[in-house]
Amino acid sequence: MISEKLKKIILNELNLDNYDIKDETTANQVPGWDSFNHINVILAIEKEYNIHFKGLEILRVKNIGELQKLIDTKLQNS
Amino acid sequence: MFDSIDFNKFFHLFVYDRYDPLYFSTSFFLFLFLVLLIFYRMFFKSKNLKIYTLIIFSLFFYYRNSGYFFLLLFFSTFINFYLGNWLYKSKSAAFKRFLFLSAVIIDIGLLVYFKYTNFILQIFNELHAGHFQPLDILLPVGISFYTFKAMSYTIELYIGTMEPTFSLRNFCLYMFFFPNILAGPIDRAAAFLPQLQDDFNVTKEDIGRAVFLILCGLFKKNVIADYIGLNFVDRVFQVPLRFTGVENLLASYAYMMQIYCDFSGYTDMAIGISLLLGFKLMDNFNIPFRASSIAEYWRRWHISLSTWLLDYMFKPLQMKFRRLRIYGSAIAIFITFLAVGIWHGANWTFVVFGLFHSTYLAVSLITQKYRTAFYNKVGLSGTKTLKFFQTLITFHLILITAVIFRADSLQTAYQVFHQIFRFFHGAVFFQWVVGYSKVFYLLLLGYILHFIPKHVDLKIQKWITASPVYVQALLVALMIMLVVQVQSAQLQPVIYFNF
Repeated sequence: MISEKLKKIILNELNLDNYDIKDETTANQVPGWDSFNHINVILAIEKEYNIHFKGLEILRVKNIGELQKLIDTKLQNS
Repeated sequence: MFDSIDFNKFFHLFVYDRYDPLYFSTSFFLFLFLVLLIFYRMFFKSKNLKIYTLIIFSLFFYYRNSGYFFLLLFFSTFINFYLGNWLYKSKSAAFKRFLFLSAVIIDIGLLVYFKYTNFILQIFNELHAGHFQPLDILLPVGISFYTFKAMSYTIELYIGTMEPTFSLRNFCLYMFFFPNILAGPIDRAAAFLPQLQDDFNVTKEDIGRAVFLILCGLFKKNVIADYIGLNFVDRVFQVPLRFTGVENLLASYAYMMQIYCDFSGYTDMAIGISLLLGFKLMDNFNIPFRASSIAEYWRRWHISLSTWLLDYMFKPLQMKFRRLRIYGSAIAIFITFLAVGIWHGANWTFVVFGLFHSTYLAVSLITQKYRTAFYNKVGLSGTKTLKFFQTLITFHLILITAVIFRADSLQTAYQVFHQIFRFFHGAVFFQWVVGYSKVFYLLLLGYILHFIPKHVDLKIQKWITASPVYVQALLVALMIMLVVQVQSAQLQPVIYFNF
């Protein structure tokens, strides 16, 4: 499940009013989430959750569900 | 009776000859492929037999085009297979990293040795850092393509986005696969290897699409690209100063069409041939001149290379520099496009080509916010007028880089621009149309076909799919006849074979 907080960060960063984000949604399906905006979304997540991703961790993520899982693990470990 | 057959000549057909390569459009290849296809589809029921047949045929194909360099292909295959699988199994992150870097250094090292040694020596000479004689190094055909294919396996295992194959046989087929070994598409191991689990089924739709693609490919490569290249573009780019500006401009437009038809035509044939064997290769082109921005152009042109660099180079770099935000992305763009340029070969023209594209992209990225605000303010956002002008401007920005790309030196490129801006003589256009009427009509046809809506393509494809086999065969035969009519005496290799 994608948390409301993550959804809000993504929509806010991409200037979207609403978009249905599911576990299996991939970045390129979300309007405006291109390879340039990608970095802004990641930075916003790092800032809001106060976590730090490693390069490989982010490259490994295939969809938003996996991104949520990664954030959850980071939060548990911190 | 056998006295009259020259066996020497017959055996010669199967031996590497630098001056007589075996490309898709040669009659000998078409004959061999037909024989392969008949056995493969009709008599070989076992999947194993099919895989081994493809491996042997692919090796023969590669040997016929590059001689003993097939040993290098073996080397690259084994290195990436064993190091890749080793790193996958390894538990220690540091050791994984060590194995990964070893594989990358070997892959890139080979590429640098074969492609750039003389270029580097020349730079040393020019800097007076020493005096080196150029070495006699022959470029192994397809090395840039199969090295990148091999690297996709090791890189994805390292990142963790794919599962390894433990079958060396399957990995060999991925690496040797003849349709894409010489000039791509640079297929991903993650997309190709799973296909070996299936039964290589070929549907009626696949055959229809394959025939359509082979027809398109032959027409684009062997009719349009070869004709306008040989009869016009090559002449102008050899001595631009002998031609007026208008002819230089036309040669630049013609070159854009030539390189698109040459490379995408070859790719169409590669994808079509693979489909007939039961394999789906990735798309490499998607009507690139319709792009309304440079970023979009790179999503439509040589897609297998641009996505390779996007995933394995740009994204990791961008992550690394993310604290610099937009400027971090700009740095990642510059490094990536320098790599795009140099990937094409050892010449300053390719370096400058990369610099132009990275500058376009960086400027476009940094000014995007302001441009969008401006379009909103004047009410142009989302209009057809805006899209038309954006497409036109994008096309001409690419045209500038195409001239640099085609020219054999920066000086030649400068001469082309000099003629266009200082010696235009627009009236010569009408003489040119008369003098080069065939080039003119083919060029016009090329651009018209390029902008035909996609649904028309799909309709033709559907019609071919629905046609009986003999009609499909007849269409291919007719296209081959047309190619033979147009073809010049000498076989024109695909431009990208040199990269």
